[in-house]
Amino acid sequence: MRYVLTSIKVIILILFAGLLHYVLPQHDVVRITGTEVIRMDFSSANRLFYAQADSGNNELTTRDLRLINTQKRKTFLLGFIPRQAEEVMVYRNEDTGWIWPPYFKFDSSDLQAEAEANISPPGAEKWAVVTHYGWRNRFFTIYPNAIGVRPVSGPDVRIIPWFNIFFFVFVIIAALTLRGMWRQFRERNIDPALEDISDATGAASTRARGTFSRWFGRR
Amino acid sequence: MIALLRLIVFGFLFLSVIYLSLSWYSRSIRREKLEDSWAEDNPGIEDSPERDSYIAEGMARYESGLRKKLIWLVYIVPTFLVIGILFVTNSN
Repeated sequence: MRYVLTSIKVIILILFAGLLHYVLPQHDVVRITGTEVIRMDFSSANRLFYAQADSGNNELTTRDLRLINTQKRKTFLLGFIPRQAEEVMVYRNEDTGWIWPPYFKFDSSDLQAEAEANISPPGAEKWAVVTHYGWRNRFFTIYPNAIGVRPVSGPDVRIIPWFNIFFFVFVIIAALTLRGMWRQFRERNIDPALEDISDATGAASTRARGTFSRWFGRR
Repeated sequence: MIALLRLIVFGFLFLSVIYLSLSWYSRSIRREKLEDSWAEDNPGIEDSPERDSYIAEGMARYESGLRKKLIWLVYIVPTFLVIGILFVTNSN
């Protein structure tokens, strides 16, 4: 039983970490090599990993999708350790509008124009930092969604993920508050109720108390 | 537009849950502190009208105090956060 519970906890933790890895913004140092528009015929397998038609338009099963083709600097450890090696990376460029994830992005056309303004021909490399969320998956044809493009002078820029720092500080504060709330609720509402039960029903309550303290008892 | 409406409705419901839980938590903490300070000043007197009125007085002070009003930030901060993200994402 304990192994089952531990496994469920680990699976929930992995799913939560995966969700955060998908949704939180990340920064890539890239050379933009081109932009294009392709028609996408979404399937039920990959529709979940796309946002929506441009804000104000109708949502159809088939639509055009803006892409930004780049050469990306590889990194270790989610971008914390830069490397010299490069790889190809393709970003989609879609409005997230008012839907999930909450980037409130309405300027896909502008972003596409910005990306095109930073295309660098071989020999005259221009570097840019692309802020994005999402994953690239070749098997299901999934692209990360570019949120912003910022030209930088060279590939060795130091990127400080301010949003993620504040986000995780907030998550820790929220978790501590929730823990405090639960303890307070147990101390003020559940424990006194249990005392009432045992006072009122005497011996019969011993069994009930055993059950309750297994649910709510302090470890 | 439907998406915006959905965001507002569900966002409001979600924040209301947080608001109500925080209100309960804050009130409960305040009451506990009052009980503790009464027990410290008057050891041994646990059930008396004086204790009840002391706690009721303290709670009345809490209900009209600043700390309770600060919980409204639960609605205000996310609203401004959305406006801020909207601005940062869409400015060139």
